[in-house]
Amino acid sequence: MSDSETGTIGQGVTVQRTGEHGAFGGELLTVNFGPHHPSTHGVLRLIVDLDGEQVKRLTPVIGYLHTGIEKQAEALRWQQAVVVTDRHDYLSPPINNLAYALAVEKLLGVDVPPRADALRVIMCELTRIASHLVWLGTSGIELGASTMLMYCFRERDTILDMNEEISGFRMHTSYIRPGGVMADATPRFMDMLDKFCDKMPGNVDEYEALLTMNPIFRSRTIGIGRLPAEDAKVLGATGPMLRGSGVKWDLRKNMPYSGYENYDFEVPTSDLCDCYGRYLVRIKEMRESVRILRQALDRLPDGPINVDDRKVLPPPREELETSMEAVIHHFKLFTEGYSVPAGDAYAAVESGRGENGCYVVSDGTHKPRRVKFRAASFVNLQPLERMAMNHMVADMVAIIGTADTVLGDCDR
Amino acid sequence: MIADSLIVERGISAGDAWITVSPETAHDALAALKGEGYRLLVFLTCVDHLADSSRPKWPGRYEMVYQLRNMDSLEQLRVRAFVDGDPPHVDSVADLFPPANWDERETYDMFGVIFNGHPDLTRILMPDDWVGHPLRRDYPVGGETVEFSEEHESWQTAPEKA
Repeated sequence: MSDSETGTIGQGVTVQRTGEHGAFGGELLTVNFGPHHPSTHGVLRLIVDLDGEQVKRLTPVIGYLHTGIEKQAEALRWQQAVVVTDRHDYLSPPINNLAYALAVEKLLGVDVPPRADALRVIMCELTRIASHLVWLGTSGIELGASTMLMYCFRERDTILDMNEEISGFRMHTSYIRPGGVMADATPRFMDMLDKFCDKMPGNVDEYEALLTMNPIFRSRTIGIGRLPAEDAKVLGATGPMLRGSGVKWDLRKNMPYSGYENYDFEVPTSDLCDCYGRYLVRIKEMRESVRILRQALDRLPDGPINVDDRKVLPPPREELETSMEAVIHHFKLFTEGYSVPAGDAYAAVESGRGENGCYVVSDGTHKPRRVKFRAASFVNLQPLERMAMNHMVADMVAIIGTADTVLGDCDR
Repeated sequence: MIADSLIVERGISAGDAWITVSPETAHDALAALKGEGYRLLVFLTCVDHLADSSRPKWPGRYEMVYQLRNMDSLEQLRVRAFVDGDPPHVDSVADLFPPANWDERETYDMFGVIFNGHPDLTRILMPDDWVGHPLRRDYPVGGETVEFSEEHESWQTAPEKA
């Protein structure tokens, strides 16, 4: 390879010489990693300067999955924009819905009934488990434990079946919306959830039996991608990235929403500050989520699932046959939508990846003036260089994996 | 709370506390707030108030929004600064809050706000050769044709400069 030449060494990887010299006397080599490399969890591109096999500089390049979700939301009415919120962090749609719904409800000044809050918590915790399962399965494959995916997707499929039962959709549920939730839980859903809560702790034991003491997995994650607590805080990391560095910070505990203060659960942390620590945190989080689900299921209150406000949500179908007023409200809601008082509000919820926030600005009309998503993946990608510095190329895969970024969330 | 001379206006919107500062002193105000314990910049963004009739007169077309959080006392504060001009200029806060680096690149990409003193102010989400700033209110939705469709005549039909 001559100085100016660029070579390709496999799918999605090209290399180029830099002319600089590294500590081992060799030349630094710029390697382009991605965006279509299978281990980048979507379409993340990394430009890495290597000294031998050590990472010396790393620049993440994002934007390959930018779909203009914030611009789309501005063009839709308040209740229609729920649908686009599903799609930014596509592994945790109900949690995205919840952030948006809480922000809009703050502006509207409405409080949802207790049953709606409990159903929201159930859907969010199911989604958190599903999202961690996708992470665990794909990370397992990358670190040499290919069977993980089969086990993880088995339970994930149960959760998707539950999504389908309660909302009609398996992934993009749009279940949580301003003013409440889309539909009440069916008896079959409660039954499925009950079985799931009984079975899941045993399944987590299975995952742990495959990975936690697995010497290959341990040697590839322990001491790799260290992110000390102080650095994690300064770099704005949230979620398991922060808790894996030993900082006990969880929005569900520290700034509760949707009645999370009524549930008894722990916030797992790990002082290892490395890839293995982040793995342990996520495994424990799945167990805690099951505890929350069990409590929510046992204590699920009766009552309405939506606010009793005809200006925000349509009247029940039966009322349309007898009440002229109900017909008018129905017509207004589905032709014009509702107007939200002028102002702005920020609501933040804890997703599987960290703080998932939604900042909405209303100009008093029936469409949002601005919807901004505070994406956890966008912020959690920035410590990547700090974590990968002086590690081997192969370790970079473990580091990207345990950062658990969803590029749809990152690029929005 | 920081010196009153830095604050133009203060209030509470939907339960969230906010202050408005002048764009020239925004960096100083945020540095002072960071010294008081607001160490986490949750997000930074911009709102375009073009043809917004919810207020009779807006102090500026672009509203910079910084959401700060004190992780010990759990207090949150939103800092606003109104800027005008084409392109609007405001001082970068990437030196105070490292996560602001990408947020500012995104705001530049989407709104065309120039952050003075930013280490690497380039587009982050849109392609490098993109023309216009998509989240401005005068940038049309569906302004570009779908690639490989019948309407798509050339490879790159950039919308008119926003």
